Formats: sequence, structure tokens, C-alpha cells
Amino acid sequence: MLKLVGIAGSVADQSYNRMLLKFIATHFSDLIDLEILDIDDVPMFNQSDDQTDGDAVQFLNRKITQADGVIIATPEHNHTITASLKSVIEWLSFKIHPLSGKPLMIVGASYYDQGSSRAQLNLRQILESPGVDAIVMPGNEFLLGDVKTAFDDHNNLKDDRTVGFLKETIGKFTQFVKVINSMNDKADEGWKKEDLESHGTVDTTIKGLDMHADDWVEQAAEKTHAAEGSDYVKLDRGVLTVDQLNWFLNSMPMELTYADDNNQFLYYNHTMDVKDMLAGRTPGSAGNPMADCHPKAAIPHVQQVVHMLRTGKTDLFKLPVPGMGPDKYIMHYYQAMHDDQGGYRGINEFVLDLMPIVKYYLEHTGQVLAKDPNAKADAVSGASSHAAAEKAKPDDVSGASADTEKPAEKPATDEVSGASASADVETKPAAPKDVDSVSGASAKD
Amino acid sequence: MDKFIAIVGTNSDNSTNRKLLQYMQKHYANQAEIELMEIKGLPMFNKPADKQVPAAVTDMAAKIEAADGVIISTPEYDHSAPAVLMNALEWLSFHIHPFVDKPVMIIGASYGSLGTSRAQAHLRQILDSPELRARIMPSSEFLLGHSLQAFDETGNLVDEQKTAKLDGLFADFETFVEITKRLKNAHAATAQEVRDLDWDNL
Repeated sequence: MLKLVGIAGSVADQSYNRMLLKFIATHFSDLIDLEILDIDDVPMFNQSDDQTDGDAVQFLNRKITQADGVIIATPEHNHTITASLKSVIEWLSFKIHPLSGKPLMIVGASYYDQGSSRAQLNLRQILESPGVDAIVMPGNEFLLGDVKTAFDDHNNLKDDRTVGFLKETIGKFTQFVKVINSMNDKADEGWKKEDLESHGTVDTTIKGLDMHADDWVEQAAEKTHAAEGSDYVKLDRGVLTVDQLNWFLNSMPMELTYADDNNQFLYYNHTMDVKDMLAGRTPGSAGNPMADCHPKAAIPHVQQVVHMLRTGKTDLFKLPVPGMGPDKYIMHYYQAMHDDQGGYRGINEFVLDLMPIVKYYLEHTGQVLAKDPNAKADAVSGASSHAAAEKAKPDDVSGASADTEKPAEKPATDEVSGASASADVETKPAAPKDVDSVSGASAKD
Repeated sequence: MDKFIAIVGTNSDNSTNRKLLQYMQKHYANQAEIELMEIKGLPMFNKPADKQVPAAVTDMAAKIEAADGVIISTPEYDHSAPAVLMNALEWLSFHIHPFVDKPVMIIGASYGSLGTSRAQAHLRQILDSPELRARIMPSSEFLLGHSLQAFDETGNLVDEQKTAKLDGLFADFETFVEITKRLKNAHAATAQEVRDLDWDNL
């Protein structure tokens, strides 16, 4: 399902635009996964006091970068958008540009008839400026006027035609997001910059050692005076000795590998000889740059996977790696790891055989496997075509021939847009009021 | 002598818009008294339920109210006026209305060649909204492009053509202020209308 973020362009305590986004998030949760982002903590933009690296701006930067698309709900103040929303956009177009190329939809609610029409037009102009460079969906204006009477006691939109039109608009936006992002994917060459030789360093890199050395672990431990044996380590949440930590990790029912954000392979839970492992590793490999652990032909694929995890396109990349006979179904999982601030910190790779789990489940529920006649990909042996053909045996650190195809979830395109075909563009539920001389009405949110 | 408030449309420490207004302050000292007004440091407008406006804003409103006219020099961020200027105008139209029928001259300076053309159009639209309702001098853009190169070391405009244009526009603005004084037949009604405008009870 598409991962979208929503920004309500108001920092007022009571905001109908936030209410509108919440309605969209809950009411259309079958179409989109919409997370609503707060902008209350974002300071006023000031080019002489750069706070791009502050938590509030970085939070938005990360969430927007990782999202497939963005929805902005704007009020209208004085014929334009709010200063608080404009300030956010200025931060996001100063030193960083997370909205660049991002599919974006504008909606808006206002107290008066106009439903934020001028603010929306103005916002469109702002978003299309070169520093922002968002790809705003054309047409499909959703203007919610007379907003104080638009919601019922449960914060649901009352008018069915309005909901129908909104659904149609959201449906079109999901299509728009897919089209724009497929264009972006073709253009995105960022993965080529993934350095699997680990030339750089990150704050945890142990410097001055030969990463290729067989005794890298011993050298690194000595250099850092690493805790070992009966030394205690404080964890979140608990305290263990290093021995206990090892017993714990070594008894995990899967093979674990840790690669850091510098693409350096730092650790695996060493319980078996290489020939008995599902994805073979040797004690000498720990400390190696990831490039050492892959055949050359597989490098671009690995770069693409790492890039997807680093940029948040996906947090979990799954890859079946067959080739060990029909009694095993080996899965390689690449889970992105993040620090408390949400920054990318590397890959937790875990490899396991799913067959014992499947067999157990079938036995204990009295079921058998059967082919799904409607399945597009063969459910059982899916993915065998690529991985198997390309290489004889699975390599070290990662499933080398990681298919570049994006994992999982291709949301079925659905009925959305057909649904309530022609709610007309005017979404105002009530009959127009008398427009008095004030008319223009830049209704405050 | 006319008294003008000149709003620096940015919170930046180094602003060529501030420089431009400082130049005007000096250059037109014989014609008008120009006081620069900074908008840095106001809280983010959040439409407080208690309708309280910060003291700094009421001070600004009083000065604007007392002035014969207002000059605003705006930078352009993202094809529009900066958030910090929009924020000041939001406060200055929240249950106070110092701009109603106030003559306003819009100018702007930018590093690039366009000289804030789009920000000025945006600002015009904002100042024309129901709770601001300023009297904006029509058809009188002053766009100062390449503003980093526009001033000499004493802060004077280098380009003679630009200077002549600004002289003309400033004289026009003084005339516009006079004319506007005669455009006050509807002022009482307009002011009342704006005071009565209550978005909470539409």
C-alpha cells in the first residue's frame, strides 16, 4: 500500500484541515497509509539562523523522503497560505529538498464558501518553484467550504457527495503517485553511489585497521578495549554479560548478520561451520567491506538493495533463495536498522528456512498445501527464476543476486476511481449563502 | 512632512531589502520621515483562542496606524513573500486592523535578475484581503534585481536609471497618499465591516 504523509498547514489548536486529513487517513485506510505530520515545532524560517539540522526539520525531511507521496491540507489566511506552512516549505527548500520530484496533492478547508481556493492556487505556485520542485497533481481541486458545518460529531464528513468526490480524488492521486514514482525510479541513479568497498567512515567505524584481515575481530577488540566474557553491557531494556549476549544471539533460530551504515560486515552469530550454514560465512569475513562478500556480477544488485533500505524506500527487503532442495525454503531478510532519531544505521540480515514453520502450521491445523489457480506468481517456488539462474550458491553477506524488483506489496489497483464517478467539482455541501460585500473571504482556517 | 513606516520584509541579518529601505530613508530625508520596522522575533501565528495579540504587534500596529503610509520591501522565497512577512501580516490582521485604507508602496530586491516580481504580486494579493484592505499603489513595481551589486560602499544605488525610477515612484507615492486621503468616503463603513468580521460566527 502507498505510504503517504499528510501536513496540515495550521498550528492553531483547532484545525479543520487537520480534521480533514484525519478523516482521509481513517476513511480511506484501504487505499492509502497516511501518516499525519505535526509542524508545530518548526521554527520560523531565517536564513541567518540555519536550523535545517534541528530535530523538527529533520523529522519532516526524513518522513517526506521516505514517503511515496504527500498530501497538504491548507487553510486560507489573508488570501494565501499560513505563515507556519510557508515557513516549513522554506526550510524544505533551503539546504535540503525532500519535496523535489515528490508527488503531492493539495486539499483545503475553510470557514467560508471559498474553501481555500486562493490559498490552494498560491500553494501550487510555491510548490512549483525551483527550490521546492514538488510534482503537484493537476486539476482535482478539493475545496471544502463552510467547514464548521461539514463534519458530524464523530468528525466524519456529512455529505455523501463530498465523500464520494474525495474518494475519487484520492484514487486518482494513488495512480498519480505510481506514475510519477516510476518516472523517478528510472531517473534515480543514487544507488550507484553506494560504496560497498566501505571507503568512508561513520561515527562507529573502527579506524586504522585492515578490514580484510582474518583477525580483524581480534584487532578491533584490542583497539577499542571491547567488553568481553563476563563484562556487563547495558542494553535497552536490560543488562547482560557479553557471554550471555552471545548465548542469546547464538540460540536464535536463524542466521544473523550485522552490516553497518558504512556497508561494513561487522558481525554474524557464529554457531556453525560454513558448510552447514544456509548462507555461508567464515570467521575471517567479519570486518570485511560488503564488496568482499559478493561476486562482482552481483554488486549492482546489492547496491540497489542497500540504497532502498538507506533511503527508506523500503524498510524490509525479502528474497527467497532456493537451491537447497524441496525440503527447504530459504528466505533472506534485509531489515533496515535505525537509531533513535530515525537515521539509517545499517542492515540486520536474517536468514532462515521457512519450511519447518509451514509444516508445523499445516500439521497442527490439519491442512495441506494446494496450488492457488489464481496466483500470478507460483506461490511455492516464486522467485526461483532469478536467483537460481544467476548463481550457483548463495554468497556470503547478502543474497547476492538480490533481484532489483521491489519487494512485496503491489497494491492492487482497485475500484476507487470508478466509484462515485461524477461528484461535481463543487464540493460545497450546502446551497451557496448570500455572498455579502466581504465576499472574497479569506476565511481563517 | 509625510511620515512613513518602512517594513523590512525579512528576518535575515544581511538583507539587501533592508539596505534599499535604508537608502530611501537617507535619500528622501528632505521629503519624508521614514522609520524602518523589523518583523523578526514575532511568535508563529497560531490563531490563539483568547484573541490575544503580542505586545510587539500592538506596538507595530500603533505605529502603522499613526503613519501616513507604509513601504514594504520584500524578498522572494519560493516564488512568494517570505513566511516571516506573511506571519507579521497575519498578526496585524487578527482582531486589529491597522492597514485598512492605509496607502502602501511595495518594492523588493533580489540577488537574481527578476527582482521579486512574483513575491510582489503575492504581497499585493495578501494586502487586498478582507482583513488587511490596504490601499496599494497601483501599477508601480520597483524590482531591484542583482541586488548584491546594486549598492556602492556608502549604501547608495549605483544605477542611475534605477535611481530615477525610484525617485519618480516615491514622488508618485506621496501624491498617492494625498489622493487616498480623499478616498475616505467609505472608510467608516469599511472599518466597521472589518471590525464586525467574525469568522467564528459566520
